[in-house]
Amino acid sequence: MSRATRTALVRDDRTAYEAAAGSAVGLSGIAFAVGLAALLGLVAIDAPVAGVGLSVALGAVLLALGAAVVGFGVASRTGYVDTGPQPSAGIVAAAAFTGIWVAVGAAASGAAGLGTGGRLGGGAVLGGVAFATTALPREDIGSTVPAGAVAGLCGLALISGVVGPGWEHALVGYNATLFGDTVVPVVVLFASLVTGWSAAKASGGFGARGRNVGAYVLIYLVVGSILAVLVGLVAFVAAKGLPGLLNGVSVGGAGLVSWPFLTNGAGLLADVAGVFPALVGTVWLVVGAVCFAVPTGVGAAVFLSEYAEQGRFTGAVEVATNGLWSTPSIVFGLFGAAFLIPRFGNQKSLIAGMLTLGFMLLPLVLITSREAILAVPDEYRDASAALGVSKWQTIRSVVLPAAIPGVTTGVILGVGRIAGETAPILLTMGGGVLPAKAAAPDVLGSFRLSASPPFVSNPALLEATSALPYQLYALITAGLSGNIRNPQEFAWGLALTLLLVVLAFYAVGIATRYYFRQKLHQ
Amino acid sequence: MSQTDTAETAETAETAETAATTVNRTDGQDVSTTAGETAEETRPEWTSYDAGGETKLAVDDLDVHYGDDHALKGVSMDIPEESVTALIGPSGCGKSTFLRCLNRMNDRIRAASVDGSVALDGEGIYQDGVDLVELRKRVGMVFQSPNPFPKSIRENVSYGPRKHGDIETGLLARLTGRAEPDREEALVERSLERAALWEEVSDRLDDNALGLSGGQQQRLCIARCLAVDPEVILMDEPASALDPIATSKIEDLIEDLARDYTVVVVTHSMQQAARVSDQTAVFLTGGELVEYDDTEKIFENPESQRVEDYVSGKFG
Ligand SMILES: Nc1ncnc2c1ncn2[C@@H]1O[C@H](COP(=O)(O)OP(=O)(O)OP(=O)(O)O)[C@@H](O)[C@H]1O
Ligand SMILES: [Mg+2]
Repeated sequence: MSRATRTALVRDDRTAYEAAAGSAVGLSGIAFAVGLAALLGLVAIDAPVAGVGLSVALGAVLLALGAAVVGFGVASRTGYVDTGPQPSAGIVAAAAFTGIWVAVGAAASGAAGLGTGGRLGGGAVLGGVAFATTALPREDIGSTVPAGAVAGLCGLALISGVVGPGWEHALVGYNATLFGDTVVPVVVLFASLVTGWSAAKASGGFGARGRNVGAYVLIYLVVGSILAVLVGLVAFVAAKGLPGLLNGVSVGGAGLVSWPFLTNGAGLLADVAGVFPALVGTVWLVVGAVCFAVPTGVGAAVFLSEYAEQGRFTGAVEVATNGLWSTPSIVFGLFGAAFLIPRFGNQKSLIAGMLTLGFMLLPLVLITSREAILAVPDEYRDASAALGVSKWQTIRSVVLPAAIPGVTTGVILGVGRIAGETAPILLTMGGGVLPAKAAAPDVLGSFRLSASPPFVSNPALLEATSALPYQLYALITAGLSGNIRNPQEFAWGLALTLLLVVLAFYAVGIATRYYFRQKLHQ
Repeated sequence: MSQTDTAETAETAETAETAATTVNRTDGQDVSTTAGETAEETRPEWTSYDAGGETKLAVDDLDVHYGDDHALKGVSMDIPEESVTALIGPSGCGKSTFLRCLNRMNDRIRAASVDGSVALDGEGIYQDGVDLVELRKRVGMVFQSPNPFPKSIRENVSYGPRKHGDIETGLLARLTGRAEPDREEALVERSLERAALWEEVSDRLDDNALGLSGGQQQRLCIARCLAVDPEVILMDEPASALDPIATSKIEDLIEDLARDYTVVVVTHSMQQAARVSDQTAVFLTGGELVEYDDTEKIFENPESQRVEDYVSGKFG
């Protein structure tokens, strides 16, 4: 065992100290959540809470948390409670707090009217003090006192109204102004993150276990905020788009749902203008691109990883593919316009759009399929070869099935990118701003057999077609006006539909991947 | 023969040529041993054993290099038909390498270059134009570490026959009524039974093989190999992860197989070699075949002092 005191193998009941530190973690989490909500605009920072503004209340909470955190550290250092701290909080924490306090020092000296030299000096002094306080004393002091001081300072700034509602600060040298209603939430988020971490360390009794708990809290808070931003984004689009999307929805007899926004075109005769042509256009576009890119991409990946000699050639192909994947989509669009359109009847067409997006999707499918195929263990190939099975059959029945989940992941990512692309469609597929229902491509119903080569034709593929992202773009460039009742609502409904279509493609992809994973592992 | 296998053959021919220039490099050089062996000259007559009967596999002056590493040195031996040949020796002496030469699995290792000749029923398997797929159908192999496919137990066993077209199970076969689920079922059952696994898995044939225990996977790999019905079966420590009961079943299987097949088995257990094999080849550190003789002779009265030390457990 180490020189530190033995920690009990089985930890019996929680002490009051742990409980207090745990509540401080919880309170920090709540402050963090409120800060996030304020940042997203869900609550106003001057909303009244217990007789004062929200920002003042949050300041008080932060001050209390800062004091509590310092208290935890002092209680542990003075031996009042039994913890297992290490000799120092460590260089990473020291560097982090030095950075924070340098910034605080520089800002404070600036506010006090000192020049550049004064700012540097102030920053250096406070930074040095913070470094010494973090790195030199035992861990329980080093990871609580600087943290508590930061939180306390932030709390004081909010309580005193130094930063608060209506506060603004013009950034010198930038054409931008900071406003209180973004700065206050950011200050709260930051300070609660620091106290959450520090209190979590205390609740774990410092030492290895404390660091573990501290890291967990940090990670959970950060992940939580990322998720919150994502959810907030989707919720925002949904809230804006639902009125348009649900316009005129009714359930008729026999459970038939009539959903005019999705089944109508935009026309003078339609009661509710709808996005049907663009919706069908987007679905066909993605289906066409996937049908083109997946077989070619997977085929190329099989060749590159199973047949080609690994060396300069495959290396060059890899570099080229990565380059293609990061090529801007407008360049693909230009390629489609200059190369594909002249070959398909000299006009914008569905098939030109499909192929252009297919070319965009191809590199990602190739890259991910190649990774997935290379990740299939060689034992499978050896086992199959030793049973006297030919290479191609081995690839078909062992390697590819084991690679399918990886390939699907690539396709999912790629479809997410291409389904929302506007630039390439703009150049290759066109279509009207507000197409009528009749403009929807009827790909399946348009196949015609003919007596002369190529024996089969499909006019629907050769017509200019609208797609959701393009229609949205065209609507916005047209100044959100047109022959429809409420263009604003229509556009948001369109955006939500696009989001849902992409999510639906994701769902299909994820279900496919899940199915094949299950098959491989159960 | 498929495209790649031709490529594979061409590649070996090429590397073999480059290796030929370095082949005599280590000959006559003293091999210092680290495993506590006494230094001793090996004599050719110790390995020139004739088991009588038909020779199934004739190995002549086989050298294997892994890059600059000389892993097998001038090994020659005749493996008789319908018998069990055990290969024993300390870890790292080249038993697996030798085994892989017999069905040309070494071709699949980039660094490996093989020199010398191996003949199956008198036909050289290292000559040009050998169909590796056909060769491996006739010379099956069970690997040292179990490597089942991530498929169901049933599919694992019937994989070989299915791919060879011996059993039709595809969609087309089902539609045209030529599918043979009964034959497949019978084959799976027979193979699993011979590999002493049937009782444990008979009610979960559709479960994924990766969910089996290590020992069960090992027996599954044996069953998978048997299902192909090869002429020669190469087994690399088939019982390394098995309990005594399963081990004895596998040993019974090996003895049973020797009636119709030629079995070559690598083992670390002297007792196992003594129990199941008709003749034993002892490889010692440095990749030399030191002695090859009747199993009884090897274990009771070997010519080489080093072999005597090894089989009596003085080193290894
Ligand atoms: N794929 C490979 N690449 C390079 N060297 C290898 C390779 N396989 C084996 N070797 C080397 O060849 C020598 C013989 O290895 P081999 O696997 O044949 O030993 P072994 O007798 O089967 O040992 P064990 O009883 O531990 O399985 C070893 O020195 C090993 O390092
Ligand atoms: Mg081995």
